Amino acid sequence: MTTISTEGSRKSVFALIPPAVVSTLVSLAIWQLAATVGPISESSIPTATATVATLAAMMFEGETYALIGETFVMAGIGFLLSVVIAVPAGFAIGLSRFAYRSTKFTFDFFKVIPPIVLIPITILVLGPSMQMGIFLIVFTNVFALAIQTSYGVRDTDPVLLETLRLYRLGLAKQILYARLPTALPFIAVGLRLAAAASLIVAVVAGLLGGAPGLGNAILTSQSSGNSERTFAIVLLLGVLGVAVSRAIQWSQARIVFWESR
Amino acid sequence: MKAYSKVLLILTGAWLPVALIILWWNVSADSSNPFFPPLSVIWQQFTTIWFSDQFVINAVPSLRNLLIGYAIAVVVGLVLGAYIGASRTLGSYIEPVADFIRSIPPVATVPIFIVIFGLGMQMRIAAISVSALFPILLATIQAVRSTDRVLLDTTKTMRLTPSQVLWRVRMPAGLPMIFSGLQLGLQVAFIVTIASEYLGAGFGMGAFTLIAADSFMILDAWTGVILMGLLGYGINLIFDVVQRIMLSWYVGQKKLA
Repeated sequence: MTTISTEGSRKSVFALIPPAVVSTLVSLAIWQLAATVGPISESSIPTATATVATLAAMMFEGETYALIGETFVMAGIGFLLSVVIAVPAGFAIGLSRFAYRSTKFTFDFFKVIPPIVLIPITILVLGPSMQMGIFLIVFTNVFALAIQTSYGVRDTDPVLLETLRLYRLGLAKQILYARLPTALPFIAVGLRLAAAASLIVAVVAGLLGGAPGLGNAILTSQSSGNSERTFAIVLLLGVLGVAVSRAIQWSQARIVFWESR
Repeated sequence: MKAYSKVLLILTGAWLPVALIILWWNVSADSSNPFFPPLSVIWQQFTTIWFSDQFVINAVPSLRNLLIGYAIAVVVGLVLGAYIGASRTLGSYIEPVADFIRSIPPVATVPIFIVIFGLGMQMRIAAISVSALFPILLATIQAVRSTDRVLLDTTKTMRLTPSQVLWRVRMPAGLPMIFSGLQLGLQVAFIVTIASEYLGAGFGMGAFTLIAADSFMILDAWTGVILMGLLGYGINLIFDVVQRIMLSWYVGQKKLA
């Protein structure tokens, strides 16, 4: 009897710990083990404890925030430029069937070309700079965002459009009352994807193209053999990635509130 | 009438890319800007480099790494994803960690694999397969989890074993969602293939292109960029065809509904 009750209480204490905490701790333990014994430990892989300690120390350095700032500024400028270019263009394309069909193949083609293939040429032309990173971000986003916007515009209810036409409302009113409300949720999805992509490409541009920020910091730490710092920055990128995707979800639920179930 | 409108549709889609290439060809024809050589010259160089054994030396190893890494990711992702998706408890433990790892830009993990495996082929395949694994794994978990209730209840009346339910009912029913994960995984695999060549020394089309750019062999760099772009597009195209064939039942079903 007593054994059963202790087991029951033990189980309930265990159940109180959220699974995410348990699995995080187990993952860190596996990492720690792999870095101390076994075949991988022969390499210069840092232990989990050393990496977390390095990351904690980095959080008290001003330089870390400067790097984060550079990455986010690059991602932000690239994102805004993409929106300013792609949303109006996609909107205009969506209004005309001819424009839509003419651009579809070309935009689909560029949409699937990963920006990473352009890096050798962009380094040559723009240099290892923030402009290069911004260019890559815009290239990554504009085609997908324009396509997404034009889908939204084309999705407008034809009956609604006919009705507006019957009332002889002009193109401006048609856009305001029919096209825009239909397109906005589509645009919101496009913006969410573009925001996430912007951050990723900002890091990639730093790591592979020498643009400033966190990506570049990974490269410098790796080439100077500081593997604790390399791993710590990668962990930091994971944290920032989760934070950004949470922030995007949060703001989307508020901006396009009529779409959230 | 139908064939006519189809031809018209293709023509409407094709005039812009043709016009863009003609424009590029003519505008660059007497370009003296070292960074933007004439397209005619780029094309000539492209044929001499890539229509020769250079393709076997530089592009084939890249494609082989991509294929091996992706195949590992697909097998591991589908099997793990199926079992994790079938178990709520297992999912609640593994998903947070998998979600975190997926939030790291895949290219940023390449230096980690360099620290562990060095600069060789082992590092490249490990980086490709691990990066491609997570989109596939998470999509499969989600797909298995969202099996239609009615379908699940039906399997109960049929006395199928749990493994039959998982592999014959839940996985096939989840294929449309799984395929979106497979596609994302393939795109990530391609990107990481090239990133691993930019960062690792030596062979591969990424290394070829970056070394050409670094040594100001701009023509060669342009041919590399064009080759990688075309391959990136081609791989997506092949995936689309495979997906359309494998999911034809689903498209038919949606048309009926």
